[in-house]
Amino acid sequence: MNPIVRWFHQLGSPPYFERFAARWAPIAYGIGLLVMAYGLYGALFVVPADYQQGDSFRILYIHVPSAWMSMAVFGLMAVYAAIALVWRIKLCEILAMACAPIGAAFTLITLATGSIWGKPMWGTWWDWDPRLTTELILLFLYLGVIGLYNAIDDRRNAARAAGLLAIVGVALLPVIHYSVTWWNSLHQGQTIRLFGQSHMDPSMLPPLWAMVIGTHVWFVGSLLARARADNLRRESGKDWVARLAEPRT
Amino acid sequence: MSYEGYVIAAYGVFMVVMLWDFFAPRIQVRQQLRAARMRAARNEKGKATGPRPPEAPLPRG
Repeated sequence: MNPIVRWFHQLGSPPYFERFAARWAPIAYGIGLLVMAYGLYGALFVVPADYQQGDSFRILYIHVPSAWMSMAVFGLMAVYAAIALVWRIKLCEILAMACAPIGAAFTLITLATGSIWGKPMWGTWWDWDPRLTTELILLFLYLGVIGLYNAIDDRRNAARAAGLLAIVGVALLPVIHYSVTWWNSLHQGQTIRLFGQSHMDPSMLPPLWAMVIGTHVWFVGSLLARARADNLRRESGKDWVARLAEPRT
Repeated sequence: MSYEGYVIAAYGVFMVVMLWDFFAPRIQVRQQLRAARMRAARNEKGKATGPRPPEAPLPRG
């Protein structure tokens, strides 16, 4: 068998995943933290203040990566949920459900930092603008997935029901992305592009990319840690969990 | 045009949420392992005391 395919099969085994997650989650957290520390230092102390927005533009360095993560995590959650629904892979159910609280956290950061940034720039904490409203709906979808997963006793049925909601909710992602194009919006249009020319001065970009990479790596650590906790909860009656819990001599 | 207070508030929110994101799964893992340890201890205790003897019939009369 192909070694990569074999590794995927092994990863589906709960004890193997426990060992894998326990090993790699702290490493991902550590790398994510280091990269974000570099990005935060650059954002707060290196890049110059914006000529129009002054220092308030520094909020961009946490707002934009969190906003990207809020949508990317939802997309990934839906992919895991679809795989879990079609092929009934338990690990994918666990990973899909582990995505939800992390995505909700990033969405909350996006909304809170956007609101704090909006007050000095727009003169208001909140506006029922298409971008803001769709992002708020995304937060409610995340909370719906978390709530549904915890409302049903049977873990597998709960994951399937919540996964279905995640798959349906994916339709919101293009609406969030194009909301500033489709409707008149108080929110600014697209200024930063992965491909092509960004409308930001190049001297302001390195901390932003560091934050984007840092939040992605942090997410991997958090996903593994949360999936590990859920894996242990589902397997709580098994011998391997009892052996794992034995005090080490 | 410093807006220092807004910047500090935004970064504060970011830090608090990321700290929660770091500690919440660690607490869950610890809870699961503690529960497993207690379950194992309960099972050991059950084995040590052995099966319960059959109850004596109630005296008649």
